[in-house]
Amino acid sequence: MPPRGAGIRITALSCTHGSVRAVADVDLEVEADTRVALVGTNGSGKSTLLRAVLGLHRDTGGTIAVDGHVARTGRDWTRRRRECAWIPQRQSPGSFPLLVRELLDGPGGHPAARDAARDLGVGTLLERPVSTLSGGQFQRVHLARIAGSVADGARVVLADEPTAALDFEARAEARSYLLGLGVTVLVVTHDPDLAAACDRRLEMAAGSLREVA
Amino acid sequence: MNDLETLTALLTMPAVQRAALGLFLGAVGLPLVGVIIVGLDIMPVRFAMMHVALLGIAVGLLTGLDPTLCALVACALAGAAVSPLADRPGGLSGGMGLLMSLAMAAALLLIAVSGVNAASAFALLWGSILSVRTVDLVILGVLAVIVPVLFVAFRRHLALLLHDRELALVSGVPVRLFTIVLLVIVAVAVAGAIRLTGALLVDALTILPALAARRLGASLTSIAVWAVAFGLMSATGGFALALLLDLPPGPVLVLTAGVITVAVHLIPERKRSWHHIEAVSTHSH
Repeated sequence: MPPRGAGIRITALSCTHGSVRAVADVDLEVEADTRVALVGTNGSGKSTLLRAVLGLHRDTGGTIAVDGHVARTGRDWTRRRRECAWIPQRQSPGSFPLLVRELLDGPGGHPAARDAARDLGVGTLLERPVSTLSGGQFQRVHLARIAGSVADGARVVLADEPTAALDFEARAEARSYLLGLGVTVLVVTHDPDLAAACDRRLEMAAGSLREVA
Repeated sequence: MNDLETLTALLTMPAVQRAALGLFLGAVGLPLVGVIIVGLDIMPVRFAMMHVALLGIAVGLLTGLDPTLCALVACALAGAAVSPLADRPGGLSGGMGLLMSLAMAAALLLIAVSGVNAASAFALLWGSILSVRTVDLVILGVLAVIVPVLFVAFRRHLALLLHDRELALVSGVPVRLFTIVLLVIVAVAVAGAIRLTGALLVDALTILPALAARRLGASLTSIAVWAVAFGLMSATGGFALALLLDLPPGPVLVLTAGVITVAVHLIPERKRSWHHIEAVSTHSH
């Protein structure tokens, strides 16, 4: 059976925030359908690495290929963002409200997102503005959103601390949902159980990456 | 003659009728433009565009072309030109300051060198509702149709973009194209409203209804509906008051819109208000 996910190859990736080097000459190869946990202390460059894959971090050097393609043009980046679903770390302060329904059904959305929202216990929150959700509800809604993205053809999930605000029971549920999506997963986490359940565990420290398990 | 009879008599005058029609058309399209301005957090853009409009007016007076149309074209071009700045971390604010200064300097230089009557250039900036012409009504009419149609057609994209630019980007919204189109619409709307309320009072029909609506609406759609409702209330109430009290309509319109905005902000916030809980939820993570 061919893999559903896409492989990622990162070569000599460097990212800077002004004069601070957040990611330093990182090389990483992730095979399709592999679930990889990125662990490490706050500020070690994990989130920046995920954002660089999506082209959200501008000051980068090196190359990032997803399914063998390096994004260079605007069209390449559009394709990359369709291929890679993203769970952000925290809510945007957003100057305008966005309803949960609008997030799930919006551009890049898929009916499967609503099914996932029901499964994850947030199906009744459709008319709530996203900014009124608790941290745990927010993360489950985004998990539902990326389930829709995967149903729509996304082959990689980039998740930034997707279980950080969840209670013990909800963490287990979200963990199994995330890792059961059947695509490549690159997840930044401080949750030891989530990290242990992944196929590979990598630690970032001061912008450098090393394999832990 | 009582107030109603006075008002009815005034409304039989062609100039007053045109002004009322202009205000109605403006109150449909311009509050939605205000929603975009507030949502994108680009308040300084309208100040910059007012200065660019002055440059356009000066060019129009110098060349003999229609000053309002020249202002419209100048603003549209400036709106498109500054849109790449929206991608920068500093956003549009710094660029707007530069644009404002350059446009004003160029306008003053043009006025001085060409011998154009400076007073007539500046007079257009103050606006004159009762001198609204057919071309102004056409511009406002086009805005009153195009802006709501675009708003409805792209509301899902706009909702994401106005909530979170990065989330919109990763969700496949063509953020750069949208930003250019929105800035051009904002610029054209500011220029188009010049004769109606005057560039300096354009807030009456753009920002103020949007600020009041943001307080009451819980989604982009409800905010848009409230904004148009407040726009129509301000335009109708302000114009009627100005006619009855024989006062200049522009300032009365702004004051009416301002009173409505303040009154709305005095209403106690609902428990489920999106901006109220936002402040709480960020601490509970």
